[in-house]
Amino acid sequence: MNIFFVTILTYGLYRLAKFITTKVSFPLFHPLLFTPALIILTITLLNIPADDYLAGATLLTHLLGPAVIAFAVPVYKHLSILKKYVGKIVITVLIGSIVAIVSSYGLALVFQLEEHFLISMLPRSITTPLAMEVSEDTGGVPALTIVFVIITGICGSLIAPSVFKLFAIKSQMAKGLALGMSAHAVGTNKALQYGEEATTFSTLAMVLAGVITIILGRVFIPLFL
Amino acid sequence: MKIFTVFLQVVFIHVFLFLAMGLRYIFSIPLPTTIIGLFLLFFALCFGVVKLEWVEKGANWLMAELLLFFIPSAVGIVNYEEIASWQGINAILVIGLGTFIVMGSTAWIVERFKGADPV
Repeated sequence: MNIFFVTILTYGLYRLAKFITTKVSFPLFHPLLFTPALIILTITLLNIPADDYLAGATLLTHLLGPAVIAFAVPVYKHLSILKKYVGKIVITVLIGSIVAIVSSYGLALVFQLEEHFLISMLPRSITTPLAMEVSEDTGGVPALTIVFVIITGICGSLIAPSVFKLFAIKSQMAKGLALGMSAHAVGTNKALQYGEEATTFSTLAMVLAGVITIILGRVFIPLFL
Repeated sequence: MKIFTVFLQVVFIHVFLFLAMGLRYIFSIPLPTTIIGLFLLFFALCFGVVKLEWVEKGANWLMAELLLFFIPSAVGIVNYEEIASWQGINAILVIGLGTFIVMGSTAWIVERFKGADPV
């Protein structure tokens, strides 16, 4: 499938999902659910293999790289926040990363997931390239890890408003750190809705969670598996 | 004009992507290129090598449209037929519950111990 057609189709359906979400706030219209679903439907009807679509989507996937780099901007703009809260941020994210790995492991046992699912799932809270690296380190299936990372992102941005309501979370710091910690870049994108401070905290949590999880993956996970 | 500015700035941000690729290759840094690039742009801004106005509009666009760049990977899920099995459904449940636990506990800890000057 040609790159032009794929980009236009994807961008058009993405704009549509974004437009609908401004009118009705119903989780099924989330751009990461609604748009992929319509694309899958379209390529199935047109009898196009998913790999052909993916081959034409390189421009869009490529932009994920510069997009992660772009998060340096809100961090720089709120440098004073970083300096002031660096200790709290590091401790919070360290605890969060351990909770993420241990809860994935425990729940996977409870739900009797097969071993390659279980291992591939452990780094699901961190950003895609890092998660794939941890997955490879610990003997998981990186391709499966990408799927789990995406599902985590979707879950995270869908449940965030209810979680914050349930636990009576008011501060931008708590919202931002929780989003970046639990739902990586997709969570950080959600944090834009809560403000620039929340975005900064979320970015810091996302980067730090990635780095900490890599270290945990190399040092601690092998002790348990 | 705005679209053109955004476009140029997005192209400019690629400089950091390529620098990061080079550094990662030369020093075999155990971090992904994008995270190294993030640090490079951050320090370039801190040391005044790059002015905020040079990248801000492009960066804002990239961050705002981030979900668009994830869509192809989400479409790629159809290649994993395992997801449409009991294992797959259980896996999605594990992810949902796990994300709830991580998000809830992180937010709760911060809200509880954030101190007297919350942001």
